[in-house]
Amino acid sequence: MIYDIRQTTACTYASPVTNAFHVLRQTPVNRPGQRVQVSSLQIEPAPVSRREGQDFFGNRLTWIALEDAHDTLTVKVSARIAIDAFTLPADSVTWEAVQEQVFASTDIGPIAPAHFLFASRMVSLDPEIRDYARQSFPPGRALLEAASELMHRIKTDMIYEIGATSVTTTPPMSFALRRGVCQDFAHIMIAGLRGIGLPAAYVSGYLRTIRPPGAARLQGADAMHAWVLVWCGSDTGWVGFDPTNDMIASDEHIVLAIGRDYTDVAPMDGVIVAAGGQHIDVSVNVFPVS
Amino acid sequence: MPSQPDSTRKFETGGLDQFVSGYRPLPGIVDEMMDGDGRVRAHWKPLLSMLADLGAEEINRRFASANRYLRDSGVFYRVYEDPAGVERPWPLSHIPLLIEPSEWKQLEAGLVQRAALLEAVLADAYGPGQLIKDGRLPAALIAGNPEFLRPLAHVEPPGGSHLRFYAVDVGRGPDGRWWVLGDRAQAPSGAGYAIENRLALSRAIPEIYGKTRVKRVAPFFQAFQAELFEYNRQDDARVCLLTPGPMNETYFEHAYLARYLGLLLVEGEDLIVRNDGVFIRTISGLRRTEVLLRRIDADFADPLELNAASRLGVAGLVQAVRDGKVVIANALGAGLVEARAMLAFLPALAPHVLGQELLLPNVATWWLGRADVRDEILAKLDSMVIAPAFGAAGGSLGSELDDVQRRNLLQAIHDRRIDYVAQEAVTLSSTPVWREGRLQPRPFSLRLFLAKVGDGWQVMPGGFVRIADNPDARAISLQGGDATADAWVLSDGPVSAVTLLPAPERVTIQRATGMLPSRAADNLFWVGRYVERAEATLRLTRALLNRVADAGDTAAPIVAAITELLRSWSAAPIDTGGARPALVARSVLTGGEFDGSLPRLVNFARVAASVIRERFSPDAWRAIDDLVALIELSLAPGPVERAMVERVEAALRIISSFSGLAQENMTQLAGWRFLELGRRIERALQTCRFARCFADGTAPSGGLDVLLELADSQLTYRQRYVMIAAKAPVIDLVMLDPNNPRSVAYQVDRIETHLAALPKGQTPAGRLTPVQQIAASIATRFRIADAGNMTDAQIVDIEDDLMALSEAIASTYLTHIERSQSAWDAQS
Repeated sequence: MIYDIRQTTACTYASPVTNAFHVLRQTPVNRPGQRVQVSSLQIEPAPVSRREGQDFFGNRLTWIALEDAHDTLTVKVSARIAIDAFTLPADSVTWEAVQEQVFASTDIGPIAPAHFLFASRMVSLDPEIRDYARQSFPPGRALLEAASELMHRIKTDMIYEIGATSVTTTPPMSFALRRGVCQDFAHIMIAGLRGIGLPAAYVSGYLRTIRPPGAARLQGADAMHAWVLVWCGSDTGWVGFDPTNDMIASDEHIVLAIGRDYTDVAPMDGVIVAAGGQHIDVSVNVFPVS
Repeated sequence: MPSQPDSTRKFETGGLDQFVSGYRPLPGIVDEMMDGDGRVRAHWKPLLSMLADLGAEEINRRFASANRYLRDSGVFYRVYEDPAGVERPWPLSHIPLLIEPSEWKQLEAGLVQRAALLEAVLADAYGPGQLIKDGRLPAALIAGNPEFLRPLAHVEPPGGSHLRFYAVDVGRGPDGRWWVLGDRAQAPSGAGYAIENRLALSRAIPEIYGKTRVKRVAPFFQAFQAELFEYNRQDDARVCLLTPGPMNETYFEHAYLARYLGLLLVEGEDLIVRNDGVFIRTISGLRRTEVLLRRIDADFADPLELNAASRLGVAGLVQAVRDGKVVIANALGAGLVEARAMLAFLPALAPHVLGQELLLPNVATWWLGRADVRDEILAKLDSMVIAPAFGAAGGSLGSELDDVQRRNLLQAIHDRRIDYVAQEAVTLSSTPVWREGRLQPRPFSLRLFLAKVGDGWQVMPGGFVRIADNPDARAISLQGGDATADAWVLSDGPVSAVTLLPAPERVTIQRATGMLPSRAADNLFWVGRYVERAEATLRLTRALLNRVADAGDTAAPIVAAITELLRSWSAAPIDTGGARPALVARSVLTGGEFDGSLPRLVNFARVAASVIRERFSPDAWRAIDDLVALIELSLAPGPVERAMVERVEAALRIISSFSGLAQENMTQLAGWRFLELGRRIERALQTCRFARCFADGTAPSGGLDVLLELADSQLTYRQRYVMIAAKAPVIDLVMLDPNNPRSVAYQVDRIETHLAALPKGQTPAGRLTPVQQIAASIATRFRIADAGNMTDAQIVDIEDDLMALSEAIASTYLTHIERSQSAWDAQS
């Protein structure tokens, strides 16, 4: 599938911001099964400095600095991306075997599984979530089967509710509520997998907004979305699991950034010098061109 | 039992034998002072003989004087766990640990080798990662380390070195060898305290320190300082010590080291990153810095690329490092090698990386991430300490776990054994401490320090000894440490008399006025304003209490007027109605719920002062503490006018001693000027308000006397006029007289003097800055004012100008910064 993506992020400040540093993670990059045909990032007002680079995990970063007073900041992304369909392979490797592989791994590269095995800023190794996850991982079960079941249970046990949680809600909080949005669903699944020693990564990206006739509308299609990558051993590698929609990511999931949790992929981080509050408005549109 | 030999028996072994006769090493524990046969080791004899000569009583006296020295120098440490942030006196154990020359040489060689090894491991982990690819370090060991800072991967540290100041904790095992217990590479603490320990001791027993050939530590710090300054490439740049601030447990040490090494003490907020480098926000604009001695944890150093929740860091610092604009000691990410799990791999890495075995062994450690290791360890769990793989703290002995703890640990290891290491349970040696008038053995560990100098490493010949307060010699019991001691490295030959105190030739001109960080100036300004406001409030309260006592008539209009003024300052509740004035006074003195009450003002002053504590002398700081303590004392219930007057007098005395100390003991550079500006502006404002309230045509009778009293000008008035108070001469004296140090005109004059001494920014020489122009226009108002016809409206105009002046000073020099993080709430 080929998609056109348009995203507009508008920050409005209560009082003029005199000085601002931001790091933007809003430009998609080429990945296995995903090719960026064209992309652009426009920033208003124009920053005094702008620098492009990539983070450790290979995500594209744009650093900007603004030194003139401004009360709005607008970031516009537009991109055309081709995605290959993905079919889950028949891999019966057990979850314990995958654990041993990653414990003994000698890979420290950008998306080496070892990076995604530990507690991270937002995902602590909560014992309750670990015990919840463990129920799907009896000894000797195939990892793909166990992880699919865990995803299905999260979708079944959690209620999708915008506003029940916020961007800073931690997995134990949303898990206790049994409510949340894609970020919470993903964080909970990650916390559960890491709790039993399996590597899981956080993905931010987009969903196709309008699906083919007859297909149900996906949760999170009109905003940025988040799901989980599970490392399924050296043969299969990373597989995308979307616990919000209980589906394996294929050609309707477009990857923007990969990290250990939300804080690694936050589309916009920064430090601003200002007295008042701020309001952020985001609009996303993803439509197929072929 | 301790001997009291007379002075003629110097160095006779009889005195020494008697002195140590009650000393019994702990069973099964190596003792530093005494060998297994109960004989004092040779290198301890000179020290012990001299101590024996002094006698117990004199020793107690000398050690007490060391404590006094520490207290008077303001040495303290803060207890982190304590919510009140209590500061404790420095717990010096006075008997130094002695290390003989040959043993020191071995330690030194082992430490230097270890520094080189850790530097190589860091360079590889942040560089090619070859040790990981070759399977010599598990990927999970690096990837799981919270100090592996990914934004720094593939970034060569400016200056070429990850480690520049490195510390190693060592202990002596039962086999008599020194063992490495742990590495400190993030931002090692203790070196500054070691200097203070040395100073306190060398003052308490100067003759002993002088006669025992103790290696001096000053040359080590000089070399380190020279190394840091080496990376200052531009003349106007300052080398800074970056501290997390006064709430940190070792803040005293940060301030002390900054002074000692001639560095500017800064917090993250003092710095800003621009495209062309890192700059200090000062009262004269941005000043470059190219070298930071880092005492904040790396993860907090840059909210933009590291921990976004950090309020301590500098946005963009990582980018400045990438651009090679700033040398940071230690480099961001160097804390990686502190992980306990590293100890499991270093012995095998040394031959591979350095081509030699470790000279100094470290505690035997196993990372449980390896399946074979796990099975082996679980079989002998009881004799092992199981500890977190990545932190430096924590851990428990297998045999001491109860059933539940054991079950939980086994499950945790089953789930995620990568998070754990097993370590051999280490037993430490003991060293003597002076307790109850005699020597007693206590277990200890020793922290040693190394500095990168040129291409090599120098070891500080000395150390920071941490001593347990109980005889339990297992290393795991000594993680906190109850007391500290100095370590004396003995020399074979004579030692050069390099002093620890800054020698004149080392004192560079540090505090040119322009280098005052805006944040420090801001706080000094507000300390001045709050202290002065507290003083005015106290004077007003005293006037109230005096009137009540004198007249006995609580309904007199003058009493009502004073009460009203206190209310309008939010020093007392509005709805006092017919409450007795004494109760209003009580509320001012004790009612912490009102912003203008004394407890609040004193607290505001203390908070502002504590942020820049290092800028006050210990005496001035103590005055603020005394004031806080006084205010916190409870007053007997009821009016008790007498007790309240006494409290007011006592508080005024403390404030005047604070002012005196600030006046006499602070160097009269920019910092002092901002403190003064705060005081002068506040005093001018208060005096204007007093004049409007008590000299106005409608003021109640007795108002002019109150005004003279508030302005502390009765005496001058009586000498000058020998008559009862009349409006025009009182106004002249209190408002206009440039020779009366309490008059408003005098304050304005002082303000103009201070402003003239501050940096002028873009203003051409000979012209007034915009701030000076405001002050000049106030001064002009005074020159043309007529005491006989001064109206309320004129005084209000002056007050408005003073407030405008305060704001202009703030916006010109103090640039108050409010930060907020970008929030993002748009995913679903």
